[in-house]
Amino acid sequence: MSRHLPRVLAGFLGALLLGTAALAAPPPQPAPATVAGLPVDQAQAMGERMYRQGILPSGEPMASVVNGDVPVAGTSFSCSSCHLRAGLGSWEGGIVTLPTNGARLNIPRYWKFPNLSIEERKELKLQNPAARPAYTDETLAHLLRTGRDPSGYDMHAVMPRYDLSDRDMAILIFYLRNLSLRHSPGVVGDTLHFATVITPEVSEADQQAMLLPLNNYIARHNQFSAGFGNRMYLGVGGNEMSGAYRKLALSVWRLKGPAASWGGQLEAFLAKEPVFALLGGISYGEWQPIHAFCERAQLPCLFPITDLPVVSETDWYTQYFSKGYYQEGQAAARFLNGLDDPAPAGVVVQVIQAGPEGRALAQGFRDTWSELGRTAAKEVLLPKGTRLTAAALGDLLTRERPTTVLLWTGDTSFPALERLAARKTPAPVHGFMSARLLGTRLASLPEPARKLVWITYPYREPQLEPKFSAYADTLLAGAVQRNPATRISTRTYSMIQVLRQGLMDMDRHFYRDNLLDRLGMQRDQILPDYLRLSFGPGQRYAAKGCFIMQVGPGDKAELVRQSEWVIH
Amino acid sequence: MRRNPWSILLVTASLWLSGTGSLTAQAPPPYTRTLESYSVPEVVLVNQDGTKVKLQALLDSGEPVILDFIFGTCTTICPVLSAGYANLQTKLPAGSPKIHLVSVSIDPENDTPKVMRDYLKRYRAKPGWDFLTGRREDIDKVMRAFNAYIPNKMSHYPLTLIREPKTGKWIRIFGMMSSSEFLAECKKAGLL
Repeated sequence: MSRHLPRVLAGFLGALLLGTAALAAPPPQPAPATVAGLPVDQAQAMGERMYRQGILPSGEPMASVVNGDVPVAGTSFSCSSCHLRAGLGSWEGGIVTLPTNGARLNIPRYWKFPNLSIEERKELKLQNPAARPAYTDETLAHLLRTGRDPSGYDMHAVMPRYDLSDRDMAILIFYLRNLSLRHSPGVVGDTLHFATVITPEVSEADQQAMLLPLNNYIARHNQFSAGFGNRMYLGVGGNEMSGAYRKLALSVWRLKGPAASWGGQLEAFLAKEPVFALLGGISYGEWQPIHAFCERAQLPCLFPITDLPVVSETDWYTQYFSKGYYQEGQAAARFLNGLDDPAPAGVVVQVIQAGPEGRALAQGFRDTWSELGRTAAKEVLLPKGTRLTAAALGDLLTRERPTTVLLWTGDTSFPALERLAARKTPAPVHGFMSARLLGTRLASLPEPARKLVWITYPYREPQLEPKFSAYADTLLAGAVQRNPATRISTRTYSMIQVLRQGLMDMDRHFYRDNLLDRLGMQRDQILPDYLRLSFGPGQRYAAKGCFIMQVGPGDKAELVRQSEWVIH
Repeated sequence: MRRNPWSILLVTASLWLSGTGSLTAQAPPPYTRTLESYSVPEVVLVNQDGTKVKLQALLDSGEPVILDFIFGTCTTICPVLSAGYANLQTKLPAGSPKIHLVSVSIDPENDTPKVMRDYLKRYRAKPGWDFLTGRREDIDKVMRAFNAYIPNKMSHYPLTLIREPKTGKWIRIFGMMSSSEFLAECKKAGLL
């Protein structure tokens, strides 16, 4: 055996030298004045469109081939489908998608401790060879066209091999070189800075219901990091994980004055205190001004406590628990549409109390009803401060002859419900009401109407909830009594659980988009309030369901489930 | 027992070198193919048009049918499987029997009929490709029936199931296929 030793050692040392030589990073390139003859901003925008949407500067889809001979248009799936928005890649179904961001393309790749910086790598006692050298523009173009990296390694056949002109290639490479190149703002020294936003109308008790668990979590995290922190990772992943574990800091941004001024206030806060993301936040009103600010500032906002989120299929930066009131309206539409008995879906009328809650409920129903191919429901708007009287409901029933009335009104229409229950010819008229809008008054729903009124209920069944909500008490530390009616501390607890996982998954790649990417890759979570939180790339509403309930008889007024959590 | 330090070094170096040697090339892994018998559960799912579909009637009709499991926001596997479906639809020779392509969602909470319609549109799906969603419990039943159950959608794997019209058995293909391989498997199964 010893006869072979010199040859093995020679190979070992040769590989070692190769690896050491590959440590040399390419010198930083000065920013070009133009890219492929285009101003830099324009090239950046075009590159982004190629990366995220698979559309060429010409407007045509990027053409590629996967699995050897399967042609794919960029509009079917794009680079960001697998490498994700921040470019740090993904792992799914046994296929590892490697990082393709600037910070990683510009340095050699190593199999061992690939996350170390060039400087950190010099500290290693044993220098490993690089799996590939840093990409040049030429080798990166070769990879994108052929799937082969500069060390001769062929990427998995699922990676598209792109047919790109030199000009288009230059634009895409420029984008990749700048993608997640430097850490996002809010990462200072060993600390990740966050903020939480509170709108002016929120009571002190509700503020504390969110702030107390949040601050307790941060204090515990920091205590842990001081005593343990990186040393824990050193034991697990060696130097590689060192630096992933950071202290956390939280600022509270309290907004003042009218909502129209909040955008400016938030911009001033952010300029003064650059933060990595917003955690939670609370408002009784519409979250839209804060949502819009986060889109503008490209600032993640994780699980604000709001029932009036922005409902968008394309916005990126705010991750909500659910679509709030809108989702209840959606559930009503789907339930009504799916009933075996077609009669209740015959003539539908929405009675909408003026205000954001009624608007959102009605919009959710309207959009979904239309999506289901149904004729638009008639709508009656109740001005602010007015209530639906028994006489008004009676007139409505006589005039429109509805089979179902959606009463997005709150408990002010309870007296009128008896009129609904009295109407038995030609068939009973059904109603819908929102549990969230009724709040604790739900149990007072008039007895005669209980069998006719369906309740949209956006949470786990109440009899099953206590054992899940009790988990949240661990972060209250006895200082505040959990209030089941507001669900503020429990939702904050859930936000923290998802954040904790997100911070670990983000590793040391402190890019705002990467945090959102990692959230999108999380497995389902069973936490307080909602039956299930589920995630997926770009999915921005984690709780997808809403039960339809009926109120049982008597003082007990138990809720009786009438539907699945998710209604198709 | 005292170990020879040279042998330890040799083993370490060999392992290390064998690891780096594998970097030079990697061919796409070949797929595996088995013949299986499955019992389709009696569940009612919902297709991209919001229409209720009895899965057993759909899959056991005797018509040529291919099944896979995907979800609308999947990062890696589903897009490639779906590109394969889309390509198969365009590659089918003129006059060949219609093949019913069925994709069952493994993210039924997010995959509403609208999400599924948009997904099919992205792949330029032609009639004959149905994307099905439904109650989570029913989807679990379907996955279990086809030995494809995964508790976490992010852990799913590439699976294509081709039903042999003559025998009613299923060709289970684990892995990714090229366009020519997919066509060849369809022919082998008697679909073309």
